[in-house]
Amino acid sequence: MKNKLSTGIFVLAGIVVVGFLWNVLEPKDQVDFSTQIKPILNKNCISCHGGVKKNAGFSLLFEEEALGDTESGKPAIIPGDASGSELIRRLKETDPELRMPYEKAKLSDEEIDLLTRWIDQGAEWGEHWAYSLPERVDLPPMAEEAGFVADDVPNFVKTDLDHFVLARLEGEQLRPNPPAEKNVIARRVALDLTGLPPEKSLFEAYTTGQISYGSMVDSLLSKETYGEKWASWWLDMARYSDTKGYEKDQGRSIHQYRDWVIRALNQDMPYDQFTMEQLAGDLLPDPSMDQLIATAFHRNTMNNDEGGTDDEEYRVASVIDRVNTTFEVWQSTTIGCVQCHGHPYDPFRHEEYYKLMAFFNNTRDEDIPSESPVLKFYSPEQQLQVDKVNDWVAEHGNKKTAESYRNFLRYTQPVYNAHLLNDFKNGAYDDHASSVLWDDGSCVLENVSTQGASAMYMKYNSHFDGTTMTVRENNAEGEILARFTLNRSKGSKTAKIPFKKINRSTDLFITANNDGIQKEINAINIYWIGFIPDIPGQDKAGYSQISKAFVDALNTQTETVPVMAENPEHMKRTTQVFERGNWLVTTDTVEPKTPGTLNPWDANWPKDRLGLSKWLVSKKNPLTARTLVNRVWHQIFGQGLVSTVEDIGSQSEPPSHPALLDWLSLRLMNEHQWSIKALVREVVMSGTYRQGSETRPELYQKDPKNRLYARGPRIRLSAEQIRDQALAVSGLLSSKMYGPGVMPPQPDGVWQTVYSAAKWVESEGEDRYRRGVYTYMKRTSTYPSFLTFDAGSREVCSIRRTVTNTPLQALVTLNDPVYLEASYGLANAMNVSENPEENIALGYERATYSKITPLKLKALKELYENSLSEFESNEENTPFFHLQRTPSAKLAALAVVANAILNLDEFLTKA
Amino acid sequence: MDTLEKLIQEHLNKDAQAKTRRHFIKNCAGGLGGLALSSIFMGCDPLGKSKTASARTFSERDLNPLATLAPPFSPKVKSVIYLHMAGAPSQLEMFDYKPVLHKFHGQDCPQSLLEGRKFAFIKGTPKLMGPQAEFAQEGESGNWVSNFLPHFKQVVDEVAFLKAVHTDQFNHGPAQLFMHTGSARLGRPSIGAWATYGLGSENQNLPGFVVLTSGGNTPDAGKSVWGSGFLPSVYQGVQCRSKGDPVLYIEDPDGISRDLKKSTIDAINKINKEEYAKYGDPEILARINQYEMAYRMQIAVPEVMNINDEPEHIKQMYGVEPGEESFANNCLLARKLVEEGVRFVQLFDWGWDTHGNIREGSIDMGLRNKCTQIDRPITALILDLKQRGLLEDTLIVWGGEFGRTPMQENRGNKEMEFKGRDHHGDAFTMWMAGGGIKKGASHGETDDIGFAGVEGRVSVHDVHATILHLLGFDHEQLTFDFQGRPFRLTDVEGEIIREILA
Repeated sequence: MKNKLSTGIFVLAGIVVVGFLWNVLEPKDQVDFSTQIKPILNKNCISCHGGVKKNAGFSLLFEEEALGDTESGKPAIIPGDASGSELIRRLKETDPELRMPYEKAKLSDEEIDLLTRWIDQGAEWGEHWAYSLPERVDLPPMAEEAGFVADDVPNFVKTDLDHFVLARLEGEQLRPNPPAEKNVIARRVALDLTGLPPEKSLFEAYTTGQISYGSMVDSLLSKETYGEKWASWWLDMARYSDTKGYEKDQGRSIHQYRDWVIRALNQDMPYDQFTMEQLAGDLLPDPSMDQLIATAFHRNTMNNDEGGTDDEEYRVASVIDRVNTTFEVWQSTTIGCVQCHGHPYDPFRHEEYYKLMAFFNNTRDEDIPSESPVLKFYSPEQQLQVDKVNDWVAEHGNKKTAESYRNFLRYTQPVYNAHLLNDFKNGAYDDHASSVLWDDGSCVLENVSTQGASAMYMKYNSHFDGTTMTVRENNAEGEILARFTLNRSKGSKTAKIPFKKINRSTDLFITANNDGIQKEINAINIYWIGFIPDIPGQDKAGYSQISKAFVDALNTQTETVPVMAENPEHMKRTTQVFERGNWLVTTDTVEPKTPGTLNPWDANWPKDRLGLSKWLVSKKNPLTARTLVNRVWHQIFGQGLVSTVEDIGSQSEPPSHPALLDWLSLRLMNEHQWSIKALVREVVMSGTYRQGSETRPELYQKDPKNRLYARGPRIRLSAEQIRDQALAVSGLLSSKMYGPGVMPPQPDGVWQTVYSAAKWVESEGEDRYRRGVYTYMKRTSTYPSFLTFDAGSREVCSIRRTVTNTPLQALVTLNDPVYLEASYGLANAMNVSENPEENIALGYERATYSKITPLKLKALKELYENSLSEFESNEENTPFFHLQRTPSAKLAALAVVANAILNLDEFLTKA
Repeated sequence: MDTLEKLIQEHLNKDAQAKTRRHFIKNCAGGLGGLALSSIFMGCDPLGKSKTASARTFSERDLNPLATLAPPFSPKVKSVIYLHMAGAPSQLEMFDYKPVLHKFHGQDCPQSLLEGRKFAFIKGTPKLMGPQAEFAQEGESGNWVSNFLPHFKQVVDEVAFLKAVHTDQFNHGPAQLFMHTGSARLGRPSIGAWATYGLGSENQNLPGFVVLTSGGNTPDAGKSVWGSGFLPSVYQGVQCRSKGDPVLYIEDPDGISRDLKKSTIDAINKINKEEYAKYGDPEILARINQYEMAYRMQIAVPEVMNINDEPEHIKQMYGVEPGEESFANNCLLARKLVEEGVRFVQLFDWGWDTHGNIREGSIDMGLRNKCTQIDRPITALILDLKQRGLLEDTLIVWGGEFGRTPMQENRGNKEMEFKGRDHHGDAFTMWMAGGGIKKGASHGETDDIGFAGVEGRVSVHDVHATILHLLGFDHEQLTFDFQGRPFRLTDVEGEIIREILA
């Protein structure tokens, strides 16, 4: 029955295919702009007639420019009249000064013919495939009756996905590989889903047939190690690091974000929610702590603490990075080009960049060393006090005031940072974190909204007793708004200072006087000044305790994480276009808006980061789902369906399987409701994935890069996986999750950062053996063995790691103490028998999940015997590896063998 | 499997050139002298005794990303030694003599120079500060050199000065990144990475791009100044150290003899060959090759990094301090490395940031000390390369990330304890020496107080274009496709500085 049905479909489809071929072969038929014309233009014309250069006033990026008048006053393309079109005339021109492309090879006759026909047919402009998404994609027909492929089909096709792959293989006259051996696929899928080799019990349950492949996959997907594995992928894109970057590269407390990613992946948070929480968690109604932590995604931008740098310059750099990263991560689009000029080849305009930037340009972070706003994590006891304040304000005040207090207690914003103080007399904006005043010092804070409050809050450090501070309105003669005396504070502290109520924006003139100190000696450091509407219920019993609890909470030191927080109305920034990308030269003011080429904006969305994130995960967005599908595919197969995984656009490679990309994208949104786990499952359940990864000569010749998938993936493991796997098979791996970054052993002297006292303090106990995702990540000095195995330094968004193969990698796995310790661990686990062959076979199998072959056993046995005789002849108790103790000669020889096993290509590779 | 080998070989044969033979022999001869790890399709077999005669083609790029490639144009030099004074040296006390600045010493800086300008630390109206060193014209060229550099006058006729280099960055981190990657933002490959990507390395037993640091710190911008950016990470600089392992993890652990390491690699590669027979994946062949290289590197690196065996007069000439991490040691190492065919040697010396806030960071004392530390070694490096006939195959580049102000720094609007100058990108001095460089040239001129270039101004991109030109590249053609477009070191700018070319 099934066969008949498929046959029917095939016959039908056959007609479609024949029809399609006929269309292609029929010379006079309609030329397609997107597939036939645009590639010619992009390759030959766009660099001089595109978004950057518009030579002779002619550009081929947008339809109206291409068909509009050029500098000559006439259009270069006249639809319907190729012979009258300057474009065609120039392509055929014999005078080299006039022929296009200028000083380049002439276009081929076929190309000129295509362009001619296209113009004669009306020069119809088409949209690039990447900027529209079909509404549905049908499965390709089954090829059961088609020749030689047929025999393999029943073995190959496991899910609908395989039909797309098979259709292409059939077209190329290739047959797929048989399925991989059970032990091989079990190791492969465990490494892909959890980053670790399979646990013994699961491996045995599957290989002995107790459970199905699907059950094994489900079991792996439910493990917490899944989130740890896939987090590395996301953290590369999020540019997660435990340091701030730039010169001093000081530490940053942001591991809560890394842990949030692991949890979200393990809970399989739908990708639309995952997106909204990270881009705009703070703008969601009544956001939870977790939703605020998620916004640290965009606080992973670097923070420049170098003396003499301009905070505003680096704040702008961070905002630009957020725009670029958002488009790289969700849209596979390098929008950064548009910062300086129109996009050279994709349809985005210069001002559209700044309209996007306007979404991001209104957050409170200002590149100050404290990285404020930082979310505070109060202890349960402290939280009780904080809750009392919040409850009081909610009970006695309006909703807006309650929100102000909740936010201020969470992340101490909005406040005016010290770098806004200016016009110093006897004082200076000094150490990049605070402003100082000396005796008889003064400074001005401009355009302050005091919120009609009767108190001013100030974070300061007072170095002497008896400094009189005065705050006046506007200038030295202005009305006194506050006058108070500060005594030595022994460190920085936040104080509540009585303030005269005024209901207007004003400049504050601030003075400090202390006769008792010498000239040019710091009397006080000011970090910030803030105003918040008064705590309501001043006449109610208990008010004074609440007021005190509020100030106490502000002074409570806690663990923190940097978060996003929007400027209040009175501090709102405007966004202007930068001329040629120069932040100092601004022109037109712009409002938030998404690029016209992409999906439309829904009027119900707020014009802020939340609206932008809704726009990104709208089912009408042509790039978000495709981007995710392409990258998940890349993680599993080592390459994307669109091979340029950073870029899906007019300059990208065409997809190897366009219909499959769209089919998976539509299923992700419609069937799987944005579930990443479901997408991953869909891919690893396929017969395409489950093939053996052996290459046959004719296959290699035809498809060296495996773009057609007639074999399974065979890829070197990632930096983290190589380490994790070595620790796992040697029994050392800790399963402890979350928390601050750990510091496994690394050679002395690797950290030498300027102006920094930060030290690599080797972790103790199980923290030495945690998974790589928890290794302390310092931008200017990445953990050396990870760097060697192609992990990046996380300064900017990284979509993929280029896999290299170098001698320095061999040195890591041969000599790095981590791998020596793992070798010793494996040796201990191997040491079960008096028969060395049994021990070697056991160790090999434990590491590779394969039975050893005679040749391999012979090679390792030889190594064992060489080692044993050398160790036995060595009378002295020489130290071995980096161990404290000297093992027996037998154990030492096994450790050498184990070291070799941990260096085998098959161990370092997922086959 | 045989068919496959043939297939790969056919593919690789296309790239096989005579040059392969040259470095191939060098690998064997300069390496271990007959390490018998070679297999049926690998390793040193210059006489072609193995059954697959063209086996050597496997050491081309597919199997070895550092395999030598010929540049598109005839190169003037094979190697580069780039000496970077991290922190930015003061051109006004070293090479750019400004007698007029003497006259204005202590006077307020004219407002016209300050209007609309931002400095890193200078506030308000600073005072001009005359040169704090004595100058004399040296050599036949008559180029100016200060008395902070008494040895350098011996080689002044070998170098070509660029007196009016400018940069738009005035903070260390971004300026260093700009100087080494052509962009002030992170993520671009460094010059050394571009050079090794374009040319590979002449010696397969050593890294192709070596970085040596002195002064106690890595540069402000961190290791990204020798990073590979979007190029494959194999092209990033490898930091070789004077203390600890010269290259991380190069030393065998306790208890493992060289013989045992050889047995280990032998066993690994035997098994990998069987794996290749099963999977036919050329990456496995590449890995076999890398393990053999790693073994050779374990001998070659400590050997080249050991300066103790150098003759006494050479040690004295450079003023080396064995066992320490010094600039002098690094200069001697640089010579040894280019002698061995390393493509790009990058020296960073930290401690040139002379603001005047501390003694070590002052123009009158700190700078003089730093000059003393580099004067002899640099002079020795040039003379030593010359006497060995290596100077004509090597380009030496000297400079900082920017220059320093003609004004005395007044940080926090206070008079400071020591004499200092603030960061300044409008005009500073760099020099080059070696192959293809016009000896004794001086290009560019600054105004009377050395504030800005008035003639022959050159940009950082111009410097890069010139370096690539000398290595045999058109800087506009050496590109790498990333994010849908070709990237290059010089972005969309850069002109070759022909005035200093021989």
